[in-house]
Amino acid sequence: MMLSRHAESLFWLGRYLERAEYSTRMLDVTYHSLLESAAWESERAWRDLLQVLRSESGFDKTGSPATSEHVNRFVMIDRANSDSVSACIERARENARSVRELIPTELWQSLNSFYLALNQRDLAVDLAEQPYDLYEMVKQRCQTVSGVLSDTMARDDGWRFVTIGRHLERAQVMCRLLAIRYQNLGDVSFHQWLAALKSASAAEAFRKAYRGSQDPAEVIEFLLLSPVFPRSVFFSLRHAEAELDILGAQFGRVTRPQRLLGRIRAGLEFAEIEELLHDDLRLHLVEVESDIRWVAESVALEYFRNSHEFAPFVPTGPAPVGTKGR
Amino acid sequence: MRFDIRYRTTFTYDGLVRESQNELRACPATDDRQQLIGYRVMTNPSSRVSSSVDYWGTRVDAFGIRAPHLSLEVVAEAAVETRQAPMVTTAPRLDALTDEAFVDSHWEYLQPSAHTHWGEAVSAAASRQRDYLGTDVVSLVLALHRLAGASITYTPGSTYIGVDVEAVLDEGEGVCQDFAHLAVALCRSVEIPARYVSGYFFAADDATGVDADTDMVDVQTHAWFEAAIPGFGWLALDPTNQREVGLRHVKIGHGRDYDDVPPLRGTVAGTAVHALDASVEIRRVGSIGPHWQIAQQQQQ
Amino acid sequence: MTEGLFAGYDHDAFFDEVFTRDGEIRPHYRALVARLGLFSADELSRRERLRDAAFRTQGITFTVYGEGEGVERTFPMDLIPRIIPADEWAEVERGLVQRVDALNRFLDDLYVGEQAIIHDGIVPKWMVLSSDGFEREATGLSVPHSSRCVVAGIDLVRDVDGVYRVLEDNLRNPSGISYVLENRAAMTRVLSLAFKDHRVRSVDHYGAMLLGALQHVAPPAAGDDPTVVVLTPGVYNSAYFEHAFLARQMGVELVEGRDLVVDDHIVSMRTTHGLRRVDVIYRRIDDAFLDPVVFRPDSQLGVPGLMAAARAGNVTIANAAGNGVADDKAIYAFVPDIIRYYTGEEPILESVPTYLLDDPDHRAEVLDRLGDLVVKPVAESGGYGMLIGPAATEAEIDEFRGKLEADPRGYIAQEVVSLSRHPTLIDDHLEGRHIDLRPFVISGEKIEVVPGGLTRVALRRGSLVVNSSQGGGSKDTWVLAPERDPRRPGDRSEGADRERVEGDPRETAQLPVVRADDADAGEEPSP
Repeated sequence: MMLSRHAESLFWLGRYLERAEYSTRMLDVTYHSLLESAAWESERAWRDLLQVLRSESGFDKTGSPATSEHVNRFVMIDRANSDSVSACIERARENARSVRELIPTELWQSLNSFYLALNQRDLAVDLAEQPYDLYEMVKQRCQTVSGVLSDTMARDDGWRFVTIGRHLERAQVMCRLLAIRYQNLGDVSFHQWLAALKSASAAEAFRKAYRGSQDPAEVIEFLLLSPVFPRSVFFSLRHAEAELDILGAQFGRVTRPQRLLGRIRAGLEFAEIEELLHDDLRLHLVEVESDIRWVAESVALEYFRNSHEFAPFVPTGPAPVGTKGR
Repeated sequence: MRFDIRYRTTFTYDGLVRESQNELRACPATDDRQQLIGYRVMTNPSSRVSSSVDYWGTRVDAFGIRAPHLSLEVVAEAAVETRQAPMVTTAPRLDALTDEAFVDSHWEYLQPSAHTHWGEAVSAAASRQRDYLGTDVVSLVLALHRLAGASITYTPGSTYIGVDVEAVLDEGEGVCQDFAHLAVALCRSVEIPARYVSGYFFAADDATGVDADTDMVDVQTHAWFEAAIPGFGWLALDPTNQREVGLRHVKIGHGRDYDDVPPLRGTVAGTAVHALDASVEIRRVGSIGPHWQIAQQQQQ
Repeated sequence: MTEGLFAGYDHDAFFDEVFTRDGEIRPHYRALVARLGLFSADELSRRERLRDAAFRTQGITFTVYGEGEGVERTFPMDLIPRIIPADEWAEVERGLVQRVDALNRFLDDLYVGEQAIIHDGIVPKWMVLSSDGFEREATGLSVPHSSRCVVAGIDLVRDVDGVYRVLEDNLRNPSGISYVLENRAAMTRVLSLAFKDHRVRSVDHYGAMLLGALQHVAPPAAGDDPTVVVLTPGVYNSAYFEHAFLARQMGVELVEGRDLVVDDHIVSMRTTHGLRRVDVIYRRIDDAFLDPVVFRPDSQLGVPGLMAAARAGNVTIANAAGNGVADDKAIYAFVPDIIRYYTGEEPILESVPTYLLDDPDHRAEVLDRLGDLVVKPVAESGGYGMLIGPAATEAEIDEFRGKLEADPRGYIAQEVVSLSRHPTLIDDHLEGRHIDLRPFVISGEKIEVVPGGLTRVALRRGSLVVNSSQGGGSKDTWVLAPERDPRRPGDRSEGADRERVEGDPRETAQLPVVRADDADAGEEPSP
């Protein structure tokens, strides 16, 4: 049991950290895989990336063309983008600060120094001149924070909410990534599936498991269903579910997020990849992604609902006095 | 005179609101001019009402509604019997106002407050009356009462709470609480202790105070003031319709100004109020004189 | 004795805590001075590093947000402790208990009593009514056992004769106790040998003491194990670290207003597993922000409906609302009479001669002597808005003359007290610096005083202002256990003493009498 507000902060701390990291990974992979590509290919790739990050409509509002420069700027630092990497780190830090008393000092320090380091740099210049350095720095810092998190944080309810947040976020983005790659399957070369693997830092693990396979179906199977690879959708869901089970046990009943998540997980666990590919996989992935979103909503309803009453208080009065009789 | 009063306020919101917490000050006081016979508060959605008496002696009913709701209705029903105020039989002189014990015991009612903060104009107007009238306190109070009434034209909806008295005087328009605040400020500026009164008034028309020819009126809460007369007590006057407070006035409570006796105040989490409907229904019922006398005897 | 560290130590005309006027070392400081005498300058700087390391490893740095984003600062603690002998402390302690007892009774009389003290003409009615701290909304709101000041911080100074005088009372949200505990924790590491030379009374039971007192004031309905929370305005508050520190010391939840909700006049906190009832709120937010229904309607820091819940007897707010009337600096002038009135005793602690300005004659006299006096606004604390006559410029004095004439109730004037001085490490040697003392007094089942308190030191040469907001530091404060009668209830040295009787004296003599808990981050004692 903990304060709803703290639980919610930890949940979002997890989500924002994850979001910052995969956004950077995807920028990195896309940027480098495009160095030798044609312009039309480039625009398609950047648009895909925006779609995976669910930032396309936000980006279009800026009116800029989907070029490397503009997308990088938008995803990394644009103030107009509330999901930009720098905004995610700022919000992760804000959330950490509001639970400063519940998290290890080292975790706070690693996140705070990450935030400060990011603020000391002129990110616009970094992006323009040597984006690779910036990508590396963000990725490394994210991993440092993750490492400190898992090395120092007690496995209490607080940890559970961070973990649930991270895994749900991770599963959602992976679903979107697969859906978009699959949608463009026709003109996607294996080189682009490789990029998908890389952005999940899964290329090596995939090669090890599938021994030089070039079959997109196997990539999909790996990223969606692998029970051992920590960024697969299935793996993420199973871990989120395990933490939800422990939280739910304190109620002595099966909670709604447990039921919802169990259903999705079972659907994947007992699925045959051929079956999935035979049906409309893209549609299926979209559905799974939106079901996961429902899980997150129901976590909020179950555990943070009380803190959702945080609308500002407004005076109800004054009632009128002494206006004339009618 | 016996009245049944039904105070009712309904808030309607644009969307769901939660955690409404409120304080109601609608219960008629019991004093030498009136006797409360019965009182109850109901809310919809329903709530547990917790009652207490505040610093000023006014009954406060506190209630909260935590669950989401789209509207809130507050109803207070009171039965009350009024009687004529005692006549002022003393004629203290102005120097009685500076008596140390008198000043000390009325200190709060001599200071400016948020809504009675007077400036040059109010102070000058009051002093002129004093200089003109001589030394009789009661005459001066009555003169200031008339001055307040003559300085403002009753204009429904012309002000909102928070306008200071100088601005009201300058504009020359106001509603009953402006009359009351102005009268209070005029008195205090010449060192006559005065207090703001919140209450109900049975009349066909608030502006004139003319008695209704029916036994039921639909009005709003009303406001007037009381001035402390050395050797006598509080003299209650209704500056809005220029009369002494009488049988048709029912007092809720008093304070330094409106802020000490607001009929309803509170907070809610969510959107702002979309619509507010407030009414006071007063029914004049057959006098139950004996009841009143019994109550009086029991008190003694 | 004026060698080494003390070389060139100037005794001046002030009361020095360590040296008599003749330059003799006071008996209770002999062991410490001897110990310090062994230190070379190098050794001392080594210990300073040790202190800084101790603060860092315990996380006793506080982050200053805003300008410069996240600057880590350590709170300046001087290495030389202040020592108060047992008999001297006993007298101070009696005086503090007497004073807080009377102030609790005074507040109860005003808010739930007959206001007898006003009717009996001891305190003028208007003086109470005109106080900003007098909360009419607290009328009729009783506090179990009348413990309206669960935590009081009474600021003491010693004058030129070494007499302890009360400078001001802090009965609303006195802060600084976290430093007391942190300083001690650091000192046990840095000067552990010096602890062996003394029997220093411990302070580490503060958390338990405060929790006990807070549970004691729980509403009767709360049962045997009342739930206590610490209510903070949030992470941006300058005293947030102390709030978190206290919650941790007591093992209770640290909440913000939005974590609490009132339903049916019952206060609960919002948790992941539903609402959990709260019985006692140790609040560190000001009255004005407690409940927007009753106080400032724009407050988002408080809890709507809280006051009605308290009134319904379902929760206790500590410290009670409305305590500000009793630490109003004009009411301060009446405290000796207040003590006499409620206790029938003479005040044990002296006050500072104080002039109220509402009397035209006094006012004229004060205006004449502004250059010799200290002028303070009645409702402020922390050294803000003060005029120190002897140190002020003509322009400042003129400015205050205008302020006093415009608002005589808003200010008081006091004689300047020549605060006592204490050797303080300045670079590599010791210099005398002015100090005061804020002991913390807890009103629970009985009124208790934490041994010692926060000694604040004005680090600027000649400065009389010790407030940390005005460039002050602090010292660890050692109250020595009595020599002959150590079996005082609540004295932690009792256990150590028994050990000494039963165990091998050679071993126990090596044990430090004090063991301070690990302390965490600090904050500036808020003004």
